Amino acid sequence: MKEINFSFICAHLSEARKERNFIMEERNTLLIVDDVMINRELLKDIFEEGEYKLLEAADGEEAIEILEKNKEKIALIFLDLVMPKKNGLEVMHYMSLNNMIHTIPVIMITGEATVESDVKAYELGAADIIYKPFEPAVVTRRAKNIIELYKHRNFIEKELELRTQELLESRKQIENSNTFLINALSSVVEFRSLESGEHIQRVKKFTEIMLRHWRALYGEEQFTDEQIELIVNASALHDIGKIAIPDNILLKPGKLTDEEYAEMKKHTIYGCQMLEKFKQEENEFYRYCYDICRYHHERYDGRGYPDGLKGDDIPIWAQVVAIVDVYDALVSKRVYKPSFSIEETFRMIKDGECGTFSPKLLKCFDDAKEDFVKNTTKEQMGEEA
Amino acid sequence: MIQEFYKNINGNYELALSRMQNDERIKKYLNFFLVDESYKSLEQGMNSNDCEMAFKGAHTLKGVCQNMAFTALSTVVEQITEELRAKNIEKAKITFKKVQEEYKKVIGEINKIM
Repeated sequence: MKEINFSFICAHLSEARKERNFIMEERNTLLIVDDVMINRELLKDIFEEGEYKLLEAADGEEAIEILEKNKEKIALIFLDLVMPKKNGLEVMHYMSLNNMIHTIPVIMITGEATVESDVKAYELGAADIIYKPFEPAVVTRRAKNIIELYKHRNFIEKELELRTQELLESRKQIENSNTFLINALSSVVEFRSLESGEHIQRVKKFTEIMLRHWRALYGEEQFTDEQIELIVNASALHDIGKIAIPDNILLKPGKLTDEEYAEMKKHTIYGCQMLEKFKQEENEFYRYCYDICRYHHERYDGRGYPDGLKGDDIPIWAQVVAIVDVYDALVSKRVYKPSFSIEETFRMIKDGECGTFSPKLLKCFDDAKEDFVKNTTKEQMGEEA
Repeated sequence: MIQEFYKNINGNYELALSRMQNDERIKKYLNFFLVDESYKSLEQGMNSNDCEMAFKGAHTLKGVCQNMAFTALSTVVEQITEELRAKNIEKAKITFKKVQEEYKKVIGEINKIM
């Protein structure tokens, strides 16, 4: 399915490329619109020996007809203001409505300069205005300049559009692969701990919920959408260090001895040691992964592990994953414990029975309660669905 | 010949030549001028007191005269255009006499050289 999509995109892009080249090569026609034959003839004579094909129209309606048939070929329009049927402003209005005004330059020709009609013409998108009588040297030079300008602009806009499209596509591909790899990596730990794969997915979901509520509550500490995405992905790796815990401890059904518990706690350190091997300086994602691995068992009162960090020395993303991890553990049914109700879980966390959290974080947690309820399934609580 | 014509009608030959390149071309445009209908439209408008119609005719004629460098005719047409734009038909009627005079002179001179 992925491959099909990709080749479709490639085909689409090369089509767009062709189209662009087509436009670049084929715009070779000037359209002269004036109801007075003498004026049209004067302009035609000016461009007679040039590189352009000439088309002419005697009124606005005729001009629109010609435009519709030749919109890919016309490089420039000379447009008279006062004409029967449809006047020059109406022609430009039509061009605006039909997205031609940005690709086909219009030089307005007018008998006199009145501020209102000039302003109106520029507002409607005229590239330039020239006044009768025509001076051939001025007319040709201006026409040339404007055609060049629009040619570049059309080219750059097309190019930019293509690049943006390509970038978005490749970014999406990379993001998809990243998420896939992170999920695969984190599920290794779960698999080994004989847990269901759902815990990681829920931690990600709850982390995202918390961050969005945090952003809504505390405007001054904004997370961007991109940062939220990075932190959510990083949260999946919070227990990655458990891979280094021996089976006899990790999988022990009964209560751990003090010694075993001390070893178990080291999964925070082991996780960081693993990450440090691939350390990327100045990388935001690395920072989030490292902080979350190391500090998701720290406590706000300084009685957590491994470093006994206190208060807001614990990065906020690690605080978020910590509360989310506790919530999911309490609300889920495990072999060694039944599940607590959501109400009871919220009460226990707020009353400080399972760790201590900052007042700010607790307020955010409370604010997010409805979303937690929505995303806590009966299955995880061990109830009949 | 063409230079003579411009002199007779109080036009600007040098300007016309710079725009239209050569006498041959100027002649072509003088022919076009004979069949141009903007004067007719101005005249019809004036005769029927149709200010809008007269204005459109005058406006177009003004552009043509400017392009052709018919200085004298151009000046009076410019004047009547502004009067008609302001819907001052009485003033325009007085000016129209001058326009008629100059226009007939131009047409007469064109016919002489054709």
